[in-house]
Amino acid sequence: MAAFETRTVAMPTIRKLARGSGVGAIAGVVAMLVAFTLIDFSGWWTIQTLSNVMHFASILALLAMGQALVIISKEIDLSVGSVYGLSGVTFISMQADLGVGGAMIAALIVATLCGLVQALAVVKGGLPSMIVTLGGLFAFRGIIYVWTGGSVRGFPEEARMHWLTRMFGGELFGIEAAFFWMLLVLAVLSLVLWATPFGNRLLATGGDAESAATRGVRTDRVKMGAFVMCSILAGCAGIVTLADQPQTHVTLGELLELESIAAAVIGGCLLSGGRGSLVGAVIGAFIVVSFRYELIALGAPSSWFITFVGIVLIIAVVFNQWLARWAGHNV
Amino acid sequence: MSSNHPLIRVTNLDLYFGVFHALKSVSVDFHAGEFVGLVGDNGAGKTTLIRVLCGIYAPSNGEVHFDGKRVTNFHPKLAIDQGIETIQQAVGLCDNLSIARNFYLGREPVKRILGIPFLDFNKMRDKSTRVIRTFGLRDNVSADDEVEQLSGGERQTVKIGRAVEFKNRVLIMDEPTNHLSVREREHVNELAIQLKEQGLLVIYITHDISQVHKLADRIVIMENGEKIEDTQADAMSLEELEAVIRHGGRTVEKDHMH
Repeated sequence: MAAFETRTVAMPTIRKLARGSGVGAIAGVVAMLVAFTLIDFSGWWTIQTLSNVMHFASILALLAMGQALVIISKEIDLSVGSVYGLSGVTFISMQADLGVGGAMIAALIVATLCGLVQALAVVKGGLPSMIVTLGGLFAFRGIIYVWTGGSVRGFPEEARMHWLTRMFGGELFGIEAAFFWMLLVLAVLSLVLWATPFGNRLLATGGDAESAATRGVRTDRVKMGAFVMCSILAGCAGIVTLADQPQTHVTLGELLELESIAAAVIGGCLLSGGRGSLVGAVIGAFIVVSFRYELIALGAPSSWFITFVGIVLIIAVVFNQWLARWAGHNV
Repeated sequence: MSSNHPLIRVTNLDLYFGVFHALKSVSVDFHAGEFVGLVGDNGAGKTTLIRVLCGIYAPSNGEVHFDGKRVTNFHPKLAIDQGIETIQQAVGLCDNLSIARNFYLGREPVKRILGIPFLDFNKMRDKSTRVIRTFGLRDNVSADDEVEQLSGGERQTVKIGRAVEFKNRVLIMDEPTNHLSVREREHVNELAIQLKEQGLLVIYITHDISQVHKLADRIVIMENGEKIEDTQADAMSLEELEAVIRHGGRTVEKDHMH
């Protein structure tokens, strides 16, 4: 009897806590803030820095949450930066013809279609998502170039002052509007992931697709749902970015796919599927963006940022793997 | 024990994978309340046959009748909805989910709040806790524990408990006792017998001939995609059974003739 009892009962509380995904990210953010406070020469804790970090972290968090859903389903989406760019450019370019509201809807339709086409290629065509979405990364960026001819207009004054533009961009109660939208999406998606049948099936599909299928779960539809949600979130992030600064360039969103993957992985999403955390992805986005601002504040050349993200990513993967094993997960 | 009206009737079933003829004109009846052992060498077509029954493969030719009605659509979801459960060693439970979440995977009970379906966690937990206690999981396993913490026998127990809880009519067990300890194996086999006695059809696939000879009412032997023997278990000795599997049905018949 005693031999049986060791596994579940004797597990200490701290280990049980560590079983939750996203714990690593919380530890990471605490370590980061302590470090920034100690080595801070130029004012990390200023309203201006924090407000910028919050704004851009919220936008990256929208992308990272979508990426997290896809990673949890054991796939990957490399196209989100281009989907973000294409949706943003659609929003700006269609405004003259459709008005602000119409352009927003058009941008979301474009994003949805991007997700749908890629999802169909993955689940119906049986192709690896890494290849399909790499194709999407190039193809959607190419569409931006062909469509705009290399330059994108900005919003005229009346569109900038439109209530929808101001609702998604600018500030609400003195805090960046993007932050509120990000919190709303986080709350809704966390409920969807942890408290609905769809979420249960998404976790199951990522954890063990074959077993899920034997229970009658339509794993193809579940994965399609994840891809489409990811693309729509990338579209939302594009809209929120441009509602705040309604002018842009054809390179809008380049490398964001890698930052979103980094944020999701730092946040505790395991690429082996079935485990992840949306709160973790948001914290991961906060960590990635914070590093960018801290490096700027320290006067480092901006090109160092990518190197730092790479290093943080590798440390996070090693740490999260170790944490998961320590907590008793088979990963 | 078995009624005249078979619960599952398979007639002249053929299945091709490309040019490979995996099932060759297989006909077999299965009755409610029957424990049927399905045996044969690797590649004999046992697992392929049950994968048709549980909706994973659609047959190329031939018919499957379930409860008197012809089956026209083959999909795992449809099979589960009609009460056909398959228990396999390696699949059926997702390691990353709790027992309660696994229990209801694919048919989650919901509570609607503002029309949105939310998981009914209380129902999931209460029912799955009751079932794992009934089926003898140790007391310190909770329905909230992830499946990755369970042993092989405990996993099989959860799957069997789940099959019973959903009032299934057919329980297909594909090598259910592989890699289990002796005590766990006996527990799983006892459960299978109990289910038969409750009126379920149990189809039991195994390589362990002596085990199935003891357990089964009827034994169906397959070889190279064909059914080569279909006999009441007590009509054949263990040695005869082994000889048929070793030499193939027709060879044995020839031996008898000479």
